[in-house]
Amino acid sequence: MSNVEEQELKDRLSIIESMIAEGRRTTESWGWTFLLWGVAYYFAIAWSALGSPAIAWPVTMIAASVLTGVIGSRISAKQPETTTGRAMAAIWIGMGISLFILMICLGMTGRLDLRISVAIIGAMLGASNAISSIILGWKMQFACAVVWWTAMVAALFTTENIAGIIFLVAIFFCQIVFGIYGMIAESRRNKARAGAQGAFHA
Amino acid sequence: MPDLPELNPVIHGKLRLALLSLLSSVEEAEFTWLRSKTASTDGNLGAQLLKLEEAGYVAVEKKFVQRKTESGREALTQYVHALKQLLGSAINA
Repeated sequence: MSNVEEQELKDRLSIIESMIAEGRRTTESWGWTFLLWGVAYYFAIAWSALGSPAIAWPVTMIAASVLTGVIGSRISAKQPETTTGRAMAAIWIGMGISLFILMICLGMTGRLDLRISVAIIGAMLGASNAISSIILGWKMQFACAVVWWTAMVAALFTTENIAGIIFLVAIFFCQIVFGIYGMIAESRRNKARAGAQGAFHA
Repeated sequence: MPDLPELNPVIHGKLRLALLSLLSSVEEAEFTWLRSKTASTDGNLGAQLLKLEEAGYVAVEKKFVQRKTESGREALTQYVHALKQLLGSAINA
């Protein structure tokens, strides 16, 4: 086999590797959802503090879910459907519905305590972030899971006021900061990819 | 010297190989997405997809959605295997 032929074959292998990686990378645009939900949590907390806790959380959560669905469907219309994408949607939709029903029922039965609420939210968000970080191979997201688990434990061993502060801090790091970090990382990757892309001919 | 495998000519074209590889990591993809990832023209992309469809390696559905078939998955696996064998023999020669 000549050097030219060998190089041709190596080119083919390189095409296979880069295209498979390209298909996988397409699905990793999640940063905006973390930011959106972080803002939604802060909005619901502020609204509750102003005197309408009974409607603040359900209304804000439903609005954030609708907004996520609308923006998500617009983004996914431009992307291919993948098993990873469906796995991600399954985790977060499942967690969101469970959390929503649980919180509504706790509120209706008068058992809603801030420390218990932070612990439940911390446990569910910790689990969801951990599962999703393992699937996506995104180490930074596992750090978010650790922060949520820490918030869960800390909230149970402290006063209501401090539990509230712990919740605000966890939202800031795991939703706002992580969301912005994710969006910046995605934007950089897209720019790098656009620069590296070339045309194929049959 | 062992018999060297032949590379599947349907997959060997660079664009067709790129398309099949792209489709191996997603369940289905739209025409526009494939076009943007391969930086190809509408005509060329359509023609190459048609060849892959004729070989049974991809299924083209309504609204220009394409997905890889089981036969396409097997063909790509065999192609990669043959490619590695050929490269291995070149290195050993």
